[in-house]
Amino acid sequence: MHSRKQRGLNILMNVLLIIYAVFALFPLLWMVLISFKSDTEVFTTTFIFHPTLSNYREVLLRSDYLRYIIDSVIVSGGAVLVSIIVGVPAAYALARYNFPRKEELAFQILSYKFAPEILVVLPLFMIYQKLGLYDSYLGLIWVYQLISLPLLIWVVRGYFEDISVEIEYAAQVDGYSWYQIFFKMLVPLIKPGLVSSALLAFIFAWNCFTFPLILSSNKVYPVTVAIMKYLGTDSAHYGQLAVASTVSALPAMIFALCIQKHLVRGLSFGAVKG
Amino acid sequence: MARIQLENISKAFGKVQALDGISLDVKDKEFFVLFGPAGAGKTTILNCIAGIVMPEEGVVKFDDQIMNLTDSAHRNVAMVFENYALYPQMTVYDNMASALRSKLYKADESVIKERIQWAAKIMKMENLLERLPSQLSNGQKQRVAMGRALVRNPNVFLMDEPLAHLDAKLRNSMRTELKEMQANLGSTCIYVTHDFMEAMALGDRIAIIKEGKIVQIGNGDAIYYMPCNEFTAQLMGDPEINLIEAEITGTGNPYSVQFRIKDEQIVLELPEDNGVYAKIRELGLKKIHVGIRPQNVKYSFEPKEGYFKASVYSYESIGNKSVIVADCGDVFHNQLRMIAPNGLNVAIDSDVYIHLQLDHAIFFDPESRKYIVRYDEAAYIALAAAQEER
Repeated sequence: MHSRKQRGLNILMNVLLIIYAVFALFPLLWMVLISFKSDTEVFTTTFIFHPTLSNYREVLLRSDYLRYIIDSVIVSGGAVLVSIIVGVPAAYALARYNFPRKEELAFQILSYKFAPEILVVLPLFMIYQKLGLYDSYLGLIWVYQLISLPLLIWVVRGYFEDISVEIEYAAQVDGYSWYQIFFKMLVPLIKPGLVSSALLAFIFAWNCFTFPLILSSNKVYPVTVAIMKYLGTDSAHYGQLAVASTVSALPAMIFALCIQKHLVRGLSFGAVKG
Repeated sequence: MARIQLENISKAFGKVQALDGISLDVKDKEFFVLFGPAGAGKTTILNCIAGIVMPEEGVVKFDDQIMNLTDSAHRNVAMVFENYALYPQMTVYDNMASALRSKLYKADESVIKERIQWAAKIMKMENLLERLPSQLSNGQKQRVAMGRALVRNPNVFLMDEPLAHLDAKLRNSMRTELKEMQANLGSTCIYVTHDFMEAMALGDRIAIIKEGKIVQIGNGDAIYYMPCNEFTAQLMGDPEINLIEAEITGTGNPYSVQFRIKDEQIVLELPEDNGVYAKIRELGLKKIHVGIRPQNVKYSFEPKEGYFKASVYSYESIGNKSVIVADCGDVFHNQLRMIAPNGLNVAIDSDVYIHLQLDHAIFFDPESRKYIVRYDEAAYIALAAAQEER
């Protein structure tokens, strides 16, 4: 009796999950389908159509799409790199040292993520204009720190806090200098957290739309903004738009799949129990 | 190997004064034990010697060389941490090799291997070398931590309760092993413990630490037989020493002690002892605390001449012997502890008759709680001196 009830519940749960999965994945599927349709078929067919690669040819070979991808890689990758260089020492300091208003500082860093991007982007636009950071790689990398840095600092800080400080003492007594201890003893221990948070930060930066839309124009053209190009004022090339979206979603998806295991583990438990 | 000196070391963590004017002189090749209750500052002393903690005042010297400004890497000390502090990402072998692979203490891989095999054998963990720390039990981790220190050839070994998490049998064998090894290596060793048996068995000298201050330094016999105050007397010895509040009566021919056991006045004659009698006369003592070790308290379940009556509070086995705790009056915490054999049929609350062997008593001042005098003092001073020479 009990087990039958259990099974019923299981089936119900799975059905619900499948419905949710279809609901969640359908837009992606739809996007991929459209990318193979010619402009004439976009509105007239659903699943049966004449597949064509012309959209792909148009986007990948006859436009600057690859340049946009490279811009995105530079900006997102650069942002994550800066975050690692700045964030790991910051996380270490927040985990290890006691200084006045430490928790407030940590919370402030986290709070950068709270404000909607649209809220800060207009003042930033004016500041960037004045500073000459508008439409530059550096400018975007800088502003992306609002997205990637808090995430990285908070995850890595948790990892540092889990490493007992005696391990550092032991390494000191064993004759290692601070830098050797950091790279030989600590970095291997925070690696799971560092890798997962860095990749997550990369995906967030890659997907960011508001900042590049407003803070850059011609010289730096991340792919999220570039997609808009295929949506003209007079005509909408939905097929090409779909190709651009599909291709731009690929890196994030590939990364997410590759690190799926680390992602869940790395972010959920910071367990480095000695 | 080196002589380690601490001069007037003080250290505070925030408002807590962890160390308050600690001065120690640990001789070369000495096995020196720091003994005291939890939170006394023992670990902080080790950290000061290792250079992990900077004292606010005072000087740390290795072989007359001031080390305050030398960082811990360059002090060449080997330390066993209480929470093991093993590197979780490395195997046991790599953990043990880590010091000998650092730039400062570099050794050939063949030498490292030899040292590790040697240390692993002593620590009985040859079969653990390929494991990761997460796959070890606490006792095994502790042995690895010990092994990691032993492979080195440092100025001083600093050991922070290195046997605390081992099972009793292994602890006893390690204790013996450790003492012998230290003698063979000819190394200076500073050893922290809160187990008085360990302190007595291992220490050439013992320092009793309380609230960041040194209470007494001396060899095991000196501290056990002539504790400088009641705190030390209570700390050394299990079951704890009995302390009785008593009054001294009599004219000196002889003197007696008088105290109350459950509304009954007990008057016991103090056995004649030149030292004790002279001290009582000299200080004109009236009130006194009489300390008597449990093994010097005799009991009987029948009324006997020279025995006074009390009732049994508890009877529990502590291994090869048992402790009877009797309910009494003027005694500290109302309880008198005595050693008895195992397997007695003792009913709780039954009558027990007690005899104090006052000729083993230690006397303390009731105000300052400091040691005044004990029976056969001269003999015990000689005993302690003899241990010093060994």
